[in-house]
Amino acid sequence: MSDPINIRALAAGTRVILATGAEVEIVSNPGDGVWVFGRYLASTGDPGMVGQEDMIFAQDVVEVRS
Amino acid sequence: MPTNGTRGFHPGLVDLASGHVSREIFVNDDIYAQEQERVFARSWLFVGHESQIPEPGDFFASRMGEESVILCRDRTGTVHVFLNSCRHRGMKVCRYDDGNTTVFTCPYHGWSYDTDGALVGVPFFREAYHSELDRSKYRLVEVAQTCCYKGTVWANWDATAPDFLEYLGEFRRFLDLILDGWDGREGQAELLGGVQKWIIPCNWKFPAENFSGDTYHNISHRSVDLVGVGPSGRSRRDYNEFNASRRLHVAIPDRGHQTITYVLPKDHQPQAAYQNSPEVAEYFFHCEEERRRRPGVNSRLIGAPGEIFPNVALLPRQPRTLAVWHPKNAHETEVWRFFFVDRDAPRQVKNFLRDYYIRYSGPAGMTEQDDMENWNYAHAASRGTIARRYPYTYEMGMGHAVENYEWDGLRMPGRVIDLTTAQASEEPMRNLYRRWAQFMEADSWDELMTWRHTSQREVQAVK
Repeated sequence: MSDPINIRALAAGTRVILATGAEVEIVSNPGDGVWVFGRYLASTGDPGMVGQEDMIFAQDVVEVRS
Repeated sequence: MPTNGTRGFHPGLVDLASGHVSREIFVNDDIYAQEQERVFARSWLFVGHESQIPEPGDFFASRMGEESVILCRDRTGTVHVFLNSCRHRGMKVCRYDDGNTTVFTCPYHGWSYDTDGALVGVPFFREAYHSELDRSKYRLVEVAQTCCYKGTVWANWDATAPDFLEYLGEFRRFLDLILDGWDGREGQAELLGGVQKWIIPCNWKFPAENFSGDTYHNISHRSVDLVGVGPSGRSRRDYNEFNASRRLHVAIPDRGHQTITYVLPKDHQPQAAYQNSPEVAEYFFHCEEERRRRPGVNSRLIGAPGEIFPNVALLPRQPRTLAVWHPKNAHETEVWRFFFVDRDAPRQVKNFLRDYYIRYSGPAGMTEQDDMENWNYAHAASRGTIARRYPYTYEMGMGHAVENYEWDGLRMPGRVIDLTTAQASEEPMRNLYRRWAQFMEADSWDELMTWRHTSQREVQAVK
């Protein structure tokens, strides 16, 4: 299990990797420490998600790319 | 004291024929619990002011009765009032007093709601719920009715209640005295600063009764009058119209709202006020001149303490404020006091008023402290077994109220007692408890809208 990521610190434009392997770009961050809004850049498990915006749960974020 | 288990209310507790009201309605925990359902879940309640939430995403955590609610403006600009409780396990989804947000997120399990109340975030929606949860069934609970009136926001849990203006009835003109500009322009009030909040160890009906128009307790404020906290360095307020006006108790029987008001004679000239500051005095003198030039009855009314049923007190003039008596339990009330100024008033006027308001009202205000002491000790001294046997008396002025009151060409609605000579009456308190008893007795809003039944009878009589 990886170290928890403080998603409150993730600015818009940051790219993150989710537990599913999908790559998401942060669109906005309400700063509640629970959710961020992101756009899917890649999603091998569910290709239909690419290009879509969704709410990303903190525990699903496993890596910060940039 | 046993209460009727089927209807939940004992009619003898409010006996307006004798002018007696049982102490039980103030100190009995069973009656208090029934009030939450019968009064607070059916009445229009004040939740805040639009100037607190000017931008999309702005929110203000308010209350309705015992319950926490969120007043918020969604991303399209629509005003909502939601129960502040997650649909999953009930945790508060908003724990700040106010702010701006894109979502309300429950800190317990992470359910998240859009500012329009939609459930938009459910952790492990695909994995744990297998995408089967119907999120549309679990929006934040929203009130049945909301009304924005001249900047103030009111809400009601009951879809069968009349709309807010019908609920106000002819009392609307007295609320307008706070919300319109001091020069008479419509809806010019804005909130000054934050909301003062504090807890008083008494039942909520003590302050509600007091602000219904208790002129009899002025002796309590004698020390403040002697200190001279008023805006001209004398007394509590500027009262230079006092001798020229008719001083009235006005009670709207079928609505349960009541107030003190002063009626000025025709062609009355503005009086000196706010003498501690020449600039502020000039501002208000100018406003008073403008107000007198405008058509309508309110140019001849001076606002004074009043109460909108059940728990909103208005004080239109000095200080200009609304207070909400939020019930916490039978023995505690959480007071929220909102202060108002003219939006366009010069900064110097606003600063002057802020100092005066703080001096007068709130937990540190000298006048409010007098009141709190009375309510605190009256409540405590009414809780005992022996004390509960003896009702309070509300006999003052019984049988002396008149309808169709008119003075110097100005007609007053409702039942009126002229205080110019009487000095005091308990007509407003009887009006409050009459309406309270009606709410506790009635099983539906249809029973409470007695004015509609009267209108129907009149129509049938004409036919």
